[in-house]
Amino acid sequence: MDPTLEQKQWMYRQMLVSRLFEERVEQIYLEGKTPVFNMANGPIPGEMHLSNGQEPCAVGVCAHLNAEDIVTATHRPHHQAIAKGVDLKKMAAEIFGKATGLSGGRGGHMHLFDANVNFSCSGIVGQGLGPAVGAALSRKMQKKSGVAVSFLGEGAANQGAFHESLNLAAVWNLPVIFVIEDNAWGISVAKETATAVKHNATRAAAYDMPGVYVPGNDPDAIFTAAGEAIQRARAGGGPSLLDIETYRLAGHFMGDAEAYRPEGEKEGLLKKDPILGYESALLASGNLSESENAEIKDSAKRAVDEAIEFARESQFSNPESALEHVFA
Amino acid sequence: MAAKERKLTVARAMAEAMSQEMRADEQVFVMGEDVGPLGGVFGNTRGLYEEFGKERVRDTPISETAFMGAAVGAAADGMRPIVELMFVDFFGVCFDAIYNLMAKNTYFSGGNINVPAVIMTSTGGGYSDGGQHSQCLYGTFAHLPGMKVVVPSNAFDAKGMLTAAIRDNSPVIYMFHKGLQGMGWLGTEAGATVNVPEEQYTVEIGKAATVSEGHDVTIVSLGMGVHHSLRAAALLQEKGVSAEVVDLRALVPLDRDHIFESVKKTGRLVVVDEDYQSYGVSGEVIASVVERDISILKAAPQRVAYPDIPIPFAHHMEQWALPNAEKIVSACLEVTHSDG
Amino acid sequence: MTDETAQAVRIPVDLWEEDVEAVITTWFVSGEAEVDQGDLLAEVMAEKIQFEIVAPASGILNIMVQQDELVEKGDTIATITVSSN
Repeated sequence: MDPTLEQKQWMYRQMLVSRLFEERVEQIYLEGKTPVFNMANGPIPGEMHLSNGQEPCAVGVCAHLNAEDIVTATHRPHHQAIAKGVDLKKMAAEIFGKATGLSGGRGGHMHLFDANVNFSCSGIVGQGLGPAVGAALSRKMQKKSGVAVSFLGEGAANQGAFHESLNLAAVWNLPVIFVIEDNAWGISVAKETATAVKHNATRAAAYDMPGVYVPGNDPDAIFTAAGEAIQRARAGGGPSLLDIETYRLAGHFMGDAEAYRPEGEKEGLLKKDPILGYESALLASGNLSESENAEIKDSAKRAVDEAIEFARESQFSNPESALEHVFA
Repeated sequence: MAAKERKLTVARAMAEAMSQEMRADEQVFVMGEDVGPLGGVFGNTRGLYEEFGKERVRDTPISETAFMGAAVGAAADGMRPIVELMFVDFFGVCFDAIYNLMAKNTYFSGGNINVPAVIMTSTGGGYSDGGQHSQCLYGTFAHLPGMKVVVPSNAFDAKGMLTAAIRDNSPVIYMFHKGLQGMGWLGTEAGATVNVPEEQYTVEIGKAATVSEGHDVTIVSLGMGVHHSLRAAALLQEKGVSAEVVDLRALVPLDRDHIFESVKKTGRLVVVDEDYQSYGVSGEVIASVVERDISILKAAPQRVAYPDIPIPFAHHMEQWALPNAEKIVSACLEVTHSDG
Repeated sequence: MTDETAQAVRIPVDLWEEDVEAVITTWFVSGEAEVDQGDLLAEVMAEKIQFEIVAPASGILNIMVQQDELVEKGDTIATITVSSN
């Protein structure tokens, strides 16, 4: 299945929102952290894992998902959260630690939860797979619609949780799709030195489920592969594994000097920016007019600006509110 | 006419609690290793598979990481999973799902997501199962903000607290001692098999109980320790020392008021804990009294706890290490200065 | 005057295969308690397998073999005094 015009424009816009958001976050993150880079300082403290370059994975998959579908994500969640429809203002406020954030500041950038669109993420590698399996189990047991998608990195495919979760999903025939964003690096460790197989897609055979490798970081190709997997799950055909080639245009985390990258790799990647590539393709094929493009860019920028402004201007909560919400 | 007496073992009481709650609420289901046709290696899911079938009583592969994580995800999506961790000692292979997800997701979501999961897990030694199959680990799980911890000492509390745990919207770890289950092949503490009402009822989580009144010394314990303490109290009575035995029943929430009131009455405190001595339950109980008002104590508190050693296999070594009535008697005599 | 007959609570002679001794692991009712036919009375363990012993009649239970004591197939472990008018 190929994306319709509307879907293509949706994907393009979501990628733009995502990238603009990351660029703003990157700027603000560095506030208070120069000349000395101390992670504790500034309006956005802590770690920051940006998704620049990986936007196609999020939009290609989430184009097929509704609010009722469940997504579990990782420490690098912004593009997926945005594509899933997480409230952008509350997400920004959460990253700033404000009272108006998704969790009132209790979660932060790696623990974004939006119950309205069934999105959650977590910072321990590989540990979002089990919960996605559980959510899929829940829908099947309740005979309710909805599929679960678990996003993970290629490094997480070497965690025990990956193998256990795929096996369990297959044994119980659950509507869950495991989506690997293969950006070739596990912090500083190249995939070839950590993973026994060339493509994780081949591991799906060990769990008797379909496994598809999607090269090229192209939203349309990802859309097609994801669509088949999600349709299969919705029809009761069980789990699938998607293994998507993507690029991490930033470091693993903000502050990562990326000395481990081979010379020239970074420059080469920046030339392959998937959003620029998609924009060119849309314009060239007549799927996007110049004026539509300007409008989309403008609306994306406004959405991001509003969200950041909302976050900036929101208040912090009373510190003792840290004691709240430990139990139900 | 009074209801007929009917005793149950802790295992049967647990199974009854689950079956009654599963009849009442379709969202409740059980998963774990050997919980299905076998009825659980410790007998606690007896009859459930026959009544509810394989959809709601699920045998899992040996994949704790996956199914503990699945419990989190299913609970967040509106189910009420009861997931078995066969031996608490196996926590290592699924601790992230418990420690960083199950206990914390409600908090991380600012209260927007509940995780109404129950982990039921076996604890305790004394039958030479070795250091990886005999631990109690009460302290490890009590030391986890966001997780409630329940430790029944008898079948009546076992049914009531399991029902309460299933209904609780917070995650609860229900830690049952193998020696209280009623499994013939383990040896069972007879005092745990008690009369259990047939109807559904709850025992509030977080309320301790004084199981035997006294005025010379307070013995605080949980699980199997309660039975050792009761035996010790009987022995102490012969020596003219009146011991009050308090059953904590839960570690989180910890009923500090109840503990304090008892120690205020007796002035002396002995804590009995089968978990490792240092950095755990016994220290917490003592600290919670001392930090509130040290003047109520007539003597330094004592603890009868497992030494800080991995649990040895050899029978004589293991028995030497375990808390028992004699050790508790000695400790009580010491705090009451009755030992000459 | 009521007639009282004592009904034996017996371990079935074919309850387990081997000729091994068993032990009463649990009495679920106390002595002198009132029981109904079909009530679960006790558990007996032979070779790690536990078997249920149920009341063959209604009446007052009189335990003859205590918990933790050894038994063999065919043994009477209690009686039930059945009242009939």
